[in-house]
Amino acid sequence: MILKYFPLWARRCRGLRIYWRVWRRTAALSFMSGLVSRFGACLLILGKLVRFGFFLVFLAVIGTKTKAIAGYNLSEMVFFFLTFNLVDVLSQFFFREAYRFRPKIISGGFDLTLTKPISPLFQSLLTGADILDLITLPPLILTIILVSGKFGVDFSHVFLYCLLVVNGLLIAASLHVLVLSLGVITTEIDHAMLIYRDIANMGRVPVDIYRQGLREVLTFILPVGIMMSFPAKAFLGVLSWQNTLYGLIFSVVLFYFCLRVWHWSLRKYSSASS
Amino acid sequence: MRKYLHLAKVIAEEYFAYRLNFILWRVRMVLRLLTLYFLWETIFRGQGEIGNYNHTQVLTYVLLSSVLVATVISSRTIDAAGEISRGDLSNWLVRPLSYFKYYISKDCVDKLLNIGFAVVEIAMIVYFLKPAVFLQTNIQTIFLFLLAAFLATVLFFLLSFLISFIGFWSPEVWAPRFLLIACLEFLSGGLFPLDLLPKPVFEVLTLLPFNYLLYFPAKIYLGQLSAFESIKGMFIAAAWVFIFYRLFRAVWKKGLRAYSAEGR
Repeated sequence: MILKYFPLWARRCRGLRIYWRVWRRTAALSFMSGLVSRFGACLLILGKLVRFGFFLVFLAVIGTKTKAIAGYNLSEMVFFFLTFNLVDVLSQFFFREAYRFRPKIISGGFDLTLTKPISPLFQSLLTGADILDLITLPPLILTIILVSGKFGVDFSHVFLYCLLVVNGLLIAASLHVLVLSLGVITTEIDHAMLIYRDIANMGRVPVDIYRQGLREVLTFILPVGIMMSFPAKAFLGVLSWQNTLYGLIFSVVLFYFCLRVWHWSLRKYSSASS
Repeated sequence: MRKYLHLAKVIAEEYFAYRLNFILWRVRMVLRLLTLYFLWETIFRGQGEIGNYNHTQVLTYVLLSSVLVATVISSRTIDAAGEISRGDLSNWLVRPLSYFKYYISKDCVDKLLNIGFAVVEIAMIVYFLKPAVFLQTNIQTIFLFLLAAFLATVLFFLLSFLISFIGFWSPEVWAPRFLLIACLEFLSGGLFPLDLLPKPVFEVLTLLPFNYLLYFPAKIYLGQLSAFESIKGMFIAAAWVFIFYRLFRAVWKKGLRAYSAEGR
């Protein structure tokens, strides 16, 4: 009712509703194709669990053989690792389609994406939600709740934690957009995506453990610290309000910048092979 | 032999044709190495020893295992899975070339490039970061290390090919490989030296073939194994190579009988 007095908002809301419906539909299709081979799906989930478990063993070995690392004890290190996994799994769940972008670019199939009345960025980034990541989310969140109980729950910290996880997701989205843009310009995407994953993997442990210089780079230039470490630090109450504010502003500016790069890259698209 | 050398030359040219791809691949290698290096450096800050390792030994282990990953656990046999499941293997079966020798040529080029660049990258890291690195000077130990690394390379070649043979029966070739990669990182000692684990767990892991891929050669290089232990380990690694070779032959024969050139 109120929206009829605000036609621009009404149009935007209608647009969002359409995108929400497209997302739900493509996610459902993607889930179906993800479960075509149950055996393969089981092995992939098992692989993810094995990798997760082995890194926990690694942390346990280090935690039991050393004193606190960079001031963090074993439980806190595990909490950082779980938070890293939460941001990582969420970003893979939402942005899996980006991993299938290269064939479209090198075959010229991206032309078809451009002709559809839906944002090409939305199609290239968000239309391939991964059910395997969705399956691993509930046990991960449950483990985070269990581990976080050890530190005592302060609702302002929980709120900040959730806010910074969403903020981390926004940074992950921006970096995926950047990689897609690189793909449009150079047709190279697979290694760029893997570089993003390698850099993000540096956030499996709190960035404070890296030596000075690298720590600053990982916090203020490559935003691994903001993505992966800031939420856990906020929960533990060791993140200053200045850094919180910096993290939030940084992600918005980065997202805006990456969108600009994407639009610029589209103008350079040469429609190879088509 | 000449045709495989020519193939190797073509494969090398192919690598350099996609230069950005190549550069980004090397950037990834350096990033991985730096991540592990900085992590271990921090762990050792204010710490004398962890298990049987001092600061120098563990950093040497990290740098050496990254060279070994680049040589032992880097194999183009991963491509065979797709070729088999897509039916492209038929093209190879009718050519006057050995499919396996082709992959050996491909792997040799891949490993030579990897070793060459890894050595340069590590030299740069050593030059700029000046980590305390242990240089082995005993010729006998170096020889044993090279032999162990060679056995590890053959072992992984066979293991990786075996995983690719799944393509004969199922188009689902990525999932089993993903599981193998997830297991390998830990079980081969790529994440940390395996003897830091509790003794019973470590003893079980030594029964598996994976520790002969990275952990065993690196331990020989560090001089932490006696001559008897080294030779005993070498025999076990050779036995694993033999077992995998027999398995490889049997599965290849069975696979060819099941092969229907699906997709062709």
